[in-house]
Amino acid sequence: MVQPAPASPFYWRLNPEVYRLIGVKCKDCGHITYPRYEICPACGGFNLEQFKLSKKGKVHTYCLNYAVPPGFEAPIVPVVVDLDGGGKYQGLITEVDKPEDVKVGDKVKMVLRKIDTQRGLNLYGYVFRLVEEG
Amino acid sequence: MAGIIGYGVYIPKFRLKQEDAAKAWGGWSAGEKAVCANDEDIITMAAEASQNAITHAGVDPSEIGAIYIGTCSSPYIEQNVTPILAETLGLGPETSMMDFCGSLNAGGMALQACLDAIAAKRIKCGIVIASEKRATTTASAGEAGFGCGAAAFVIGTKDTIVDIEGIYNYSTLFLDRWRAVTDNFVSDHFDIIFDREYGYEKHIAAATKGLMKNLGKKPEEFTQVVLQQPDARLPGIAAKAIGVKPDKMALGTIVSTLGDLGSASVFVGLAGVLDKAKAGDKVLAVTYGSGSSSAVSLAVGAGTAKGKKDVENLEKYIKRKQYIDYVTYLKFTGTIKRAPY
Amino acid sequence: MRGKVAVVGAGMIPYGELFDKSFNDMVQQAYKACIKNVDKGFDTKDLKAAWFAQWSGGFIGAGTQSGGTLSSLIGNREIPVTRTENGCPTGGDAFRNGVLGVASGAYDVVLVLGAEKMRDKPSAESLNAVGAAGASLGIFPGWTLGGGGTVLQAMYATRQMFELGYTMEDYARVAVKNHKNGVACPYAHYRFEVSLEKVLASPIITWPLHLFDCCPQTDGAAAVILCRADLAKKYTDRPVYVMGTNTGHDYVNYWDKHNFIEMLSTVRAARGAFEMAKIKPADVDFGEIHDCFSNTELMDIEDIGFCRKGEAAKLLKEGKFARDGELPINPSGGLKAHGHPIAATGLGQICEVFWQLREEATGRQVKLKKGIGIQHNVGGPGFGTSVVNILSRSA
Repeated sequence: MVQPAPASPFYWRLNPEVYRLIGVKCKDCGHITYPRYEICPACGGFNLEQFKLSKKGKVHTYCLNYAVPPGFEAPIVPVVVDLDGGGKYQGLITEVDKPEDVKVGDKVKMVLRKIDTQRGLNLYGYVFRLVEEG
Repeated sequence: MAGIIGYGVYIPKFRLKQEDAAKAWGGWSAGEKAVCANDEDIITMAAEASQNAITHAGVDPSEIGAIYIGTCSSPYIEQNVTPILAETLGLGPETSMMDFCGSLNAGGMALQACLDAIAAKRIKCGIVIASEKRATTTASAGEAGFGCGAAAFVIGTKDTIVDIEGIYNYSTLFLDRWRAVTDNFVSDHFDIIFDREYGYEKHIAAATKGLMKNLGKKPEEFTQVVLQQPDARLPGIAAKAIGVKPDKMALGTIVSTLGDLGSASVFVGLAGVLDKAKAGDKVLAVTYGSGSSSAVSLAVGAGTAKGKKDVENLEKYIKRKQYIDYVTYLKFTGTIKRAPY
Repeated sequence: MRGKVAVVGAGMIPYGELFDKSFNDMVQQAYKACIKNVDKGFDTKDLKAAWFAQWSGGFIGAGTQSGGTLSSLIGNREIPVTRTENGCPTGGDAFRNGVLGVASGAYDVVLVLGAEKMRDKPSAESLNAVGAAGASLGIFPGWTLGGGGTVLQAMYATRQMFELGYTMEDYARVAVKNHKNGVACPYAHYRFEVSLEKVLASPIITWPLHLFDCCPQTDGAAAVILCRADLAKKYTDRPVYVMGTNTGHDYVNYWDKHNFIEMLSTVRAARGAFEMAKIKPADVDFGEIHDCFSNTELMDIEDIGFCRKGEAAKLLKEGKFARDGELPINPSGGLKAHGHPIAATGLGQICEVFWQLREEATGRQVKLKKGIGIQHNVGGPGFGTSVVNILSRSA
């Protein structure tokens, strides 16, 4: 499978969601999601409005992957976060290298990091970092 | 008068003891340096530093008329990085987006441009960033010494906490170290002594002298001084050349903890100074790179940045550290890679 | 649906890392095995239509497949053939389509065959390809988050531990049971036992899952022949009848899901299948369900409705789901030991259900009470698709 390069309209279309966290909220059922949809994935309704996702939240679930593809260093830590103000966000937690470092309920915030490089072009996006208390 | 409304820094979490890099090749170096992880670069560091600066300043992104970045380690030769930052900071397409490259004084030049735009009343408020992650090659002085970091300043005329009293630039054609399009890494110094005396010292002294003349000040009047920090020794030599006591540089010295931050050296050091400075303090900051030096005079006011409580300061970022070994460093810098399948 | 469709033959090739068999070899061998299995013999001219379960297409290297591919491989270009894909439920859902083809009255005799070649690439590469296909793991389509198939289920495994108090030991116990079952099954990929200690000492692949919590990358093929129930006696005096068949779905994107302790795709698939069959979970004697990972089996058991959410681990420990227990789960060894050649898996499970219901599962026969067995898969992007088929030995 040939990957589109970051220059592809495939990625450009996602700029508002990726960088500005503009998702959608369903006016009928209240479901919050991203990227933009014209039909609500929850209730099938057509009444969706723009909704700005928060950069902060708490860990809902996660895992630590040690069987990583080439170009990655283990572990990679995928996470689903309950965002402040509603909605969930799936991504990675950066700067975690052992299972003891993270648990369900930990506070996290989004930071911009390099996600990938294709044909010399970098793809950037938000990943999460644990918020240290105090 | 234009001044700083707020500022922010970003320092990566990982640290390498400089001796761990040097001794692998039979050398030695003191101190430690900050190292970017695999998923970090000058854009990601600039993003966090500038977000911290905007929060600290308490300005709305829509008030920012221009974004400037100074760096010598952009991943691109033709493609700006400021548009990426504009996206993450929420700036609109009418914002002037300017990437300054080509010397370790890129940040100084960026600051000059921002001040000009404000003086011309073209913009009310601008954000000036310096961010560096210079590539290092094995067994080089840079491998032991080059560090990673970023700092950003929101500059404007309203609600300032530090006045920028003046800036003076001094530039000549002087080749000390360079990186051509055909090079993967910046060169070593052509001649260490020639470059120190005729490059670093001379230009810093000339820029400072020019600034003092314009403002009618003397170097001794300054409470703190932040100079370009290529290593732990050179700033002391330049301090002597401009006539200031080395102890005035204490608050802004970061090279032994974070390494040589290139374009971000003075910006990060300045943030460290401002974190601890008191109202009424006078700060002199002087950059240097590739024959170009900018001297800036700052006066710390009595105001407090609106978002001061809400951001991590330099001290927090410095404390937040995890040591890595030399092998991990080589992986982080991409010098050694895992073979594909 | 009751009394409309019967399974009259089932065949598969032993699953494994079949380096000396090509994709074509596997398809043709499974087809031959299936035909040979028909009690009274099978005239291939009787076939009226076929469904071809094939998941990876060109992804892992089998080349793009279409209905025509199967048509050529079985040497029968007279019948309509459709290739279907529906994630890990590809095989079970192809079966559902075949069932509907017969139940509609359009075709009296139908072949459903599934095959998957996964080991023409090293297993690490294959695993990551599986993960890439389960994409939409983040804002960027195709962003695999540096993970393979294990990441998708490990996210559930963590939450099951947090919310239900499940432990790595509970998960390991599933692997122990299924490996033990696999020893007795001649078609299983792995035919060795593992102890609880061995599972827990094996390397962590994706925390909290160990190596032995994960199903292998397997090559395999399986096929069944369906027939109008009232014509089945031409082929066998002991057909197995389809009582219910259903596919269920849930959100594909992980950030839309409501929780990570149940898979609503399974819940919906099972509910609809039970409604169609007009039976309840308690009526089922045994099941071949989708244990791509150990924690998944516990979740599946609860989602299908065999017990309350959070109870499965305790019941497993008490022996309820062992082959000689009250409700045997995965007597064939499950995906864990029998293997998971993706498109073939569902059909291989149906083969096992077929043989168990006819009491032909030598060495691994479960006790039958009502003579009802269930087959289940769940998977696809975001585990958003599930299939459940319910079979019985009486019409």
